[in-house]
Amino acid sequence: MIGRWIVGIAFFLHDSLRYRRVKKFFHNLLENPAYPYKKFFDYTMMVLIVISVYILVHHVKYEVKPDWLFFNNYVISVIFMIEYLLRLWVYSDNSKVIIEQYEHDLFLQRPFKILVAFRQIIITKSKFVFSLSAIIDLLAIMPFFHEMRLLRVFILFRVFKLFRYAKSLQQFVSILASKKFEFLTLGVFASVIITVSSVLIYVMEANNPESPINTLFEAVYWSVVTIFTVGYGDFVPVTSEGRTVAMVIIVAGIAVIAFTTSIVVSAFTEKLDEIKEDKLIDDVSKFDQFYLICGYGPLAAQVARRFLKNGKQVIIIESNHQKVAEAQKEGFLALAYNPASLHSYHTIRINFETQVIAAILLEESDVLNVYTALTIREISKKVKILSILLHHENRRKLTLAGIDEVVYTQELVGLMSKEVSGRPVAFEVIHALRSENNGVFIEEIVLDTLMAQHFFETTKHSMFHKRLIVLGVYKQLSQSFFFNPSNTLVIEEGDVVIVVGTRSLIDEFKIQMRRKKRS
Amino acid sequence: MSYQSAIVFGFNEYAKQIALQIAPEYPSFAIFVMNESERILAKSAGFEAALFDLGEDWKIIEERFDPKNLIVFCALDKDAENVFLTISLRSIFGDLPIIALAGDHESAAKMKSAGANKVMATQQITANIITEMLEKPTVTGVLHDILYEESFLKIAQLVVPEDCFLVGKHLHDIDWGEEFDLLVLAIVDHQLSATFSFTSKGHHHHIDPEDVLVVVGYEDSIAALSQAMGIIK
Repeated sequence: MIGRWIVGIAFFLHDSLRYRRVKKFFHNLLENPAYPYKKFFDYTMMVLIVISVYILVHHVKYEVKPDWLFFNNYVISVIFMIEYLLRLWVYSDNSKVIIEQYEHDLFLQRPFKILVAFRQIIITKSKFVFSLSAIIDLLAIMPFFHEMRLLRVFILFRVFKLFRYAKSLQQFVSILASKKFEFLTLGVFASVIITVSSVLIYVMEANNPESPINTLFEAVYWSVVTIFTVGYGDFVPVTSEGRTVAMVIIVAGIAVIAFTTSIVVSAFTEKLDEIKEDKLIDDVSKFDQFYLICGYGPLAAQVARRFLKNGKQVIIIESNHQKVAEAQKEGFLALAYNPASLHSYHTIRINFETQVIAAILLEESDVLNVYTALTIREISKKVKILSILLHHENRRKLTLAGIDEVVYTQELVGLMSKEVSGRPVAFEVIHALRSENNGVFIEEIVLDTLMAQHFFETTKHSMFHKRLIVLGVYKQLSQSFFFNPSNTLVIEEGDVVIVVGTRSLIDEFKIQMRRKKRS
Repeated sequence: MSYQSAIVFGFNEYAKQIALQIAPEYPSFAIFVMNESERILAKSAGFEAALFDLGEDWKIIEERFDPKNLIVFCALDKDAENVFLTISLRSIFGDLPIIALAGDHESAAKMKSAGANKVMATQQITANIITEMLEKPTVTGVLHDILYEESFLKIAQLVVPEDCFLVGKHLHDIDWGEEFDLLVLAIVDHQLSATFSFTSKGHHHHIDPEDVLVVVGYEDSIAALSQAMGIIK
């Protein structure tokens, strides 16, 4: 009966969209580093920890207002307790375990073994409870029982909680953890030296009335202070035998320090690339919008440079590490991932719908560009994809792969050759306008309601008349271009005006079109 | 200036597209290639090609074409070969218009030094067009139509004749859009230099005979202005 009741609840929770949504929200908030609101939660928790520790330190010598004590002992502790319980909740899915066990038993036509399901739940949750971070979380809640004054020092465990929220601290720990074996060896070595030297110094010095080392604890203390090259000087050996032991332990101490330093340095060196890449991925996930260039070479470098010059962000993905290093040397944001692999985009956490303005495929092979296009299309149907075409006969294949714009330079050069031989000056003019190196630009301005309303009025303004060339108006709805538009043309929101002029004049033109309304 | 003959050197994807575009424009057209495989490729694309090597003394050109009415396109596979071809052509024909293809900026500079009149840096062209297509799609479409498609809107360069009514006037004296329904993008000042200046920058420009106006407008409007200027009688 109870079993059926529990299975019913499990199925209800499993099917409840609202329950799933709430659980997912808390999971993201607590555990998902890519979740945009997680950082706000982490910062809040860090502030609470700092307040808590400050109150503890202040309270040692000064009186703290009862309100603050209440805040520290109850409010912060309750928040931490709620956080602990939420982490325990989102750690695993109990309803799933119950349903799986129920369906398993049903399939084998035997009664539902509820205890097996509970056992499984307890085992899974225990993994969380006995994890180091969860133990620290639990200890950090202890000051809640403020009557037990000794437990107040547990507030310091709240400091350790910072490891949860600060990524750099997590990285530091993970780097050191990668050298676990080396640290263990070092620990054993240091322990043996300390043990042997402590016993020796105790034997040599304890019976000498002039020696300050009288107990085994003092001997151990002296050994530790000496081996780690601190040497306070409060305990010193006075016998020749004791001093001999000191000389040996001092030499061993240098070895311990050198060994420790080399382990830490090598751990950081080995992980440096990984850290840099993690940082880069973090930076990428923070970008609002950028162009994604797949494949790096001299052409990609030129394209990236032009976008950067126009104030746009560019991310380059290239599978060849050497090329990535070249791109980074040029100052581009480049990541060593295969642009044709779905796994790459999941790892980099790129959101094609919101972040990518367009994906530009610049691999030196139509085959690779088609493959990359299909990969990107699998992730996003909407994102704009542009690709270069290397062989004319592959054009249709690129289009079928979902590429929106194809650039076939060879054909373009052919058309340009005709132009340059027939109308060389006209060609130069257009080429100069396109290259944007002459201080004169050809720009398109998408008109909003305000601008559309005052378009003609502004073009007649003495500042722009005969100085700014209004080449024409492109009507997006009818997809028609009106060259040298006259006052009779109805200008609407969304129309695109093409102008030729200096940067300052074009910018001023945009401002003036909007300013009219305010006056 | 219109030429009677054109030669394309090389036969790769670039050379093929150049040949396809310019062959119909010239009464006399030839392709020169460096090896047999290129010659076969050219033949399969419908072009007859002659063989040459970089050590030529170019008598073949003097025999078959009038160098004063000839334009050449250097589109060999390797930039270094193109530079060598350009410099060897320039050494024989001082005034021959040479248009050369280059992969990058560096090669483009070398081609210029070798004597090419115009260098088309393919990487730069591709980069420009990619950024323009994404940042200014409407501009790209309109310019493409004006330059390469059979649209009514054209770009033209008009040389100002001696007795033209424009001589002595300033560019800003005329409301080109209002009076002729066309726009002047740039002007080449014959007296100052052979390079152009944009109308948006040089409005106080004094129009002299033999200056070149670069105009955009409908075919009819350009024809009307040409007539008014005395270019078409």
